[in-house]
Amino acid sequence: MARYSDHTRDPCPWVILNDTGAAFAMGAIGSGIWHIVKGSKNSPRGERIIGAISSVKARSPVLGGNFAVWGGLFSTFDCALKGIRQKEDPWNVIASGFLTGGVLAARGGLAASARSAALGGLVLALFEGVSIAVARISTPSAPPMVH
Amino acid sequence: MSSFPPADQTSNTSFYSQSDTVNVSDILGNVDFGSAQIRELAGLGTGKLGEIEFVQVDDVPMTAGPIASRGVLDDLCYGTGTTYLAGLSFGGLWGLVEGTRGPNSNFKLRINTVLNSVTRRGPSIGNSCGILAMGYNGINGVITTIRGRHDAVNNIAAGALVGAIFKSTAGIRAMSVASVVCASAAAAWTYTFRHLQ
Repeated sequence: MARYSDHTRDPCPWVILNDTGAAFAMGAIGSGIWHIVKGSKNSPRGERIIGAISSVKARSPVLGGNFAVWGGLFSTFDCALKGIRQKEDPWNVIASGFLTGGVLAARGGLAASARSAALGGLVLALFEGVSIAVARISTPSAPPMVH
Repeated sequence: MSSFPPADQTSNTSFYSQSDTVNVSDILGNVDFGSAQIRELAGLGTGKLGEIEFVQVDDVPMTAGPIASRGVLDDLCYGTGTTYLAGLSFGGLWGLVEGTRGPNSNFKLRINTVLNSVTRRGPSIGNSCGILAMGYNGINGVITTIRGRHDAVNNIAAGALVGAIFKSTAGIRAMSVASVVCASAAAAWTYTFRHLQ
């Protein structure tokens, strides 16, 4: 998620579409695999294939849509923060996760919203921490200066 | 570095006799940094036919056109995202129209009806559109990879397949109708895209 000054990611307004689509695909495919297994397990013998298909058809678009809304809103907040702060750092991503979580749970009241926001910020902070750690491990250290 | 032309000897001697201070611009002014010299310094050859003409910043080339694309996965993400958001907006508008047409006189009831119909129509149409776009782009990517070329046949075949899969539980008739509709939509999109470029 944090690929700063990366040539494979597009400039800001357009990347929202890309992130929405990527999140939708992740949610729909992940949920599809999950519900193939769950649907066939919960169906009686002889109707396992039909049960799996109908379970996937009923559930996987919904999770895909939820993921897409999360990803799209997250990317929108990320772009807005980049525009306002004129900076690209992990705090943008963490704040976007916090705001997205808060906004999406806003109908549940202030307490639910705050809980969801804290969870969103925490999850994105974990992602950021892991990606920074991975980058630090996988990047070779600079060769010593030779005079 | 043979074509790196040294400043000629006479101007060099007069240069030092004139003054002892030497600027960067004095030195650089005597050296020809033409494109041929730069190419040779960078090890790119002399720029003759058959040699490397230029180096791309990215390993992954972008296709030219109004809708840039870096490959199958990028197409999938953009296609799914754009179609999902378009479907969500269309469904939301439909729900809005549907909700405001009711016979409710009470303001609170009317707001509630509108909200209900917007949040019912919007996500359901958005989800269906997203699934269709994801299936279409995914199948198209697989066909393109297998055939090794990208053309209208791929798009139409992907549209027909995704329509059939989308309606696979509704019977043969619905399957064929959906298949034909999706194939025509894919053909129309291909035609429009070609004229956009």
